[in-house]
Amino acid sequence: MIAQARNLIGRWYSIPLLLVMWQAAVASGLVQSRLLPGVGAVWDVLVNETANGALLYHAGVTVSRALTGFSLAAIIGIPFAAAMARSILVRNLFEPIFFVGYPVPKIALFPVFTYIFGIGTPSKIAFTFLECLYPIVVTCYFGFSGVPTRLVWSAQNCGASRSTILRRVIMPAALPSIFSGLRIALPVAIIVVVLTEMIGDSIGLGYYITIWSTRFSFANVYAAIIVIGLCGLALDQAMLLLRHRLVYWEREEIG
Amino acid sequence: MPAPRWSQKITNALIPAAVLALWEVLGSAGFLPRYLSTPTAILTALWELAVTGELFAALAESLYRVAAGFVLGAASGILVGLAAGMMPRVRHFFDPLVSFLYSVPKIAFLPVFLLLFGLGHASKIAIIAFSGFFPVFIASRHAVLSVNRLLIWAAQNMGAPRSTIFFRVLIPAAAPQLFAGIRIGLAHAFVVLFAAELIGSKAGLGTIISYGEEWVRFDLMFAGIVCFAVLGFAADRILLAIRSRVLKGQIIGTEEQVAR
Repeated sequence: MIAQARNLIGRWYSIPLLLVMWQAAVASGLVQSRLLPGVGAVWDVLVNETANGALLYHAGVTVSRALTGFSLAAIIGIPFAAAMARSILVRNLFEPIFFVGYPVPKIALFPVFTYIFGIGTPSKIAFTFLECLYPIVVTCYFGFSGVPTRLVWSAQNCGASRSTILRRVIMPAALPSIFSGLRIALPVAIIVVVLTEMIGDSIGLGYYITIWSTRFSFANVYAAIIVIGLCGLALDQAMLLLRHRLVYWEREEIG
Repeated sequence: MPAPRWSQKITNALIPAAVLALWEVLGSAGFLPRYLSTPTAILTALWELAVTGELFAALAESLYRVAAGFVLGAASGILVGLAAGMMPRVRHFFDPLVSFLYSVPKIAFLPVFLLLFGLGHASKIAIIAFSGFFPVFIASRHAVLSVNRLLIWAAQNMGAPRSTIFFRVLIPAAAPQLFAGIRIGLAHAFVVLFAAELIGSKAGLGTIISYGEEWVRFDLMFAGIVCFAVLGFAADRILLAIRSRVLKGQIIGTEEQVAR
């Protein structure tokens, strides 16, 4: 019991320690409190803005945009990766687009997206889709092409049909890499949505940060940053939980 | 795959070539909205920028920021990450902080950095370093922890001093994962560079892009975008080249060598 508590403190002490140092620095006047409001001020804003729904509303906008773009990328990307891994023609057609295009910073295309899709939600979703598509397709492609051929052969030998092989052999074998692709893409989705909201929008957490920083109210900025962090953490945990349930034969530790 | 190489290359180039051709034809025929410009107009704009020297000034500015920020971020990420991997105390200090901050887009701190460091180079370099730190830290930490203990024990058994174990056993064994982290950090650096230049200041390649938007010179905007994309791509390829030189001994006989 005591050992457990000690272990817990030993693992998590840095966050409270940092908060105390932060508060001490502000209280002693070492840093301008305009730039760095005290812990209490940020906490007050966090509670008030959550209670009046402003933070929840903007967080809802950001998360729903991120999830929509992400799900579209997953729905289109995973079958696409399977097709690339299974058919030489598809692979030769699309390989350069995905593998040469992978390191290209696609964020540069965002201005073009705003012209095509307008400044609101559609351009954010479309851009999130594009940014998530790359890690999902590339990781899943390696997953699908890494399925051991002898598994497929033995399934064929047992007389399994093509659809059975796809469903019962290839999908389960590729599932761990599908999930690692999705897990890479999920934080990308949130980052991209917040980023594009900061560049130009009138709703969402990215907008919230920009607008409150122009009003020099940094307590609100930090509160929004905390909310973004919590959303990211929650989504990642949800993804891990899903993986834990679906890939039950190769579980990773949650936490 | 020594099969017909050239036919494969043709298939590879098919879609990009078709898109470019379609873009050019439809664009010059006026079927596309003006903001899409045409590939030839973009090339002309690039040439125009290159002749006036604007391009190189902007490139130098952006390159300086991303290089300085990335080197700072990656170096501190490697140092702290290695320390965290080797020492449980350091690990327990940084783990909760990193696992919380990792999911926050670092660009959200840009307003704070702008106030702290001003509108010039310093704020961009700082935010790029800040966002490059996290992936490199995580990769280095995992790299050290996943080094095969047997290797270290064997070295200890043969009486190697700690520094030898560090430089000759630990670092080489961790190097592949270190590079993976650095590569992600580099990608983050370019994303943050772009956003910081567009939001925070008007300098570097970001200027060319936003200038093009403001003055309805979409060819200029695309020229900036193309430069930015090429810069990011080239940086990644340079990193990969360094990687395959450093890891020469480790990729022999693996699939990666076959693929190249």
